[in-house]
Amino acid sequence: MKYALFVGCTTLARLPGYEKSARNVATKLGVELVDMPGSSCCGTTYLETLDHKTGLAIAARNIAIAEEMGMDIVTVCNGCTEVLTKANKELKEDSELKKKVNKVLAEAGKEFKGTVSVKHYARMLRDDVGLESIKENMEKDLGDIKVGSHYGCHMLKPSEIMDFDDPENPTVLDDLVSTTGAKPIDYLNKLECCAGPIMGVRENVTWSVGQDKVNEVKKTGDMMVTACPFCYLTYERAQLMNEEGDNLPVLHLPQVLGLGLGLDEDDLGIGHNNIDASSIVEKVI
Amino acid sequence: MSITITTEGKEFRDKILSTPGAERIMNCYQCGTCTSDCPVAKRVEEFRPRKLARLVMYGQEERLMEGDLLYLCAGCYTCYEHCPQEVHVSEIVSALRKYSLNNGHLLPTFKALMNGMAEMGYIYEIDEFENEMREDDDLPSAPVPDTEGVEAIMRSTGFLDKVEASKR
Repeated sequence: MKYALFVGCTTLARLPGYEKSARNVATKLGVELVDMPGSSCCGTTYLETLDHKTGLAIAARNIAIAEEMGMDIVTVCNGCTEVLTKANKELKEDSELKKKVNKVLAEAGKEFKGTVSVKHYARMLRDDVGLESIKENMEKDLGDIKVGSHYGCHMLKPSEIMDFDDPENPTVLDDLVSTTGAKPIDYLNKLECCAGPIMGVRENVTWSVGQDKVNEVKKTGDMMVTACPFCYLTYERAQLMNEEGDNLPVLHLPQVLGLGLGLDEDDLGIGHNNIDASSIVEKVI
Repeated sequence: MSITITTEGKEFRDKILSTPGAERIMNCYQCGTCTSDCPVAKRVEEFRPRKLARLVMYGQEERLMEGDLLYLCAGCYTCYEHCPQEVHVSEIVSALRKYSLNNGHLLPTFKALMNGMAEMGYIYEIDEFENEMREDDDLPSAPVPDTEGVEAIMRSTGFLDKVEASKR
């Protein structure tokens, strides 16, 4: 299995622990992730709200790079996943629009053909590697750890476009976490947005959502797991902003899987997590 | 008291209604599902998705363009998924942002973000410093974006000019 890896700005610049664990877990599972030369920002979920055509063209330029490589795209950010999936679908389905966007893309010497698909890392693991195969590769038992998953929005919604998991009752992250033996938990407002996208507009709202959700997970869980850099940063920063109480460890999805696969803390970049995760690492048997 | 919609208000509404994704505004029967499920509305008094739809229906352009109202939507699509009338308030917000930018307005935070993307190809600076840190983690250097290509795309649609000329 070989994919074009679209890392995305926030993970590239801010979260080496996420990227490192995603790459090493993929290797361990026999998946090759190839970097995309010349790729840029996906366009952000904001750009598409400001200018439809420009949003499509910026996304399509990145997709065109994967087309040249002849590989499907794997992303590690919910925002990038949504932006690229949406553009890919729209351009594949509307040939007139594709013509217009390709005219713009010619400015950057690219052409969108419509020959590849885009999937989130979690989707690649579930659908292409397979839960059973992941389970077979597990070397450690995380059975003593209770994990509150945060799905985030754009991995799932708009559901008619993302066409992935049930937006009201998703199971993919809990299913992946379960492959390690760890126990997924339910908690109040599990599906609520992290409000990360308005961090730059009203940060207090983001911290409020983050703290509320962390407090719910704390009631029965040992840690939180995320599959998106914005969601991760929300839960980490929301806790670091608030000096009261003990902080709840937040791990990236491949860090949890990697612990089960027997990778060490360094391979998983756990030292980069700003909330101490040693209580979790100690529970790995 | 009766509510009347002015000619200007109607023109404004028609413009929003003609934006792809926002065509179904007039089907809104004000049930408030969008608002009760909105993570931002729970915490920000003035952000009521139901009211946004209502204000568009009555052509209340000025009230919609006030402050940072349009930028408080986190784009989580909860209202999109839950609306029994498929009005898609999130898409109405997008239509309003486009309208606002076409009239010369953009929130400074967004302006900086878009200008940054044109300049750097990313929304953050990712250069030698970041790449040295990446090397310490055995990570390959970040892809070098074709910044000229990205800027050419943003310029050719007229978007970048609009962003550069925009005021709050």
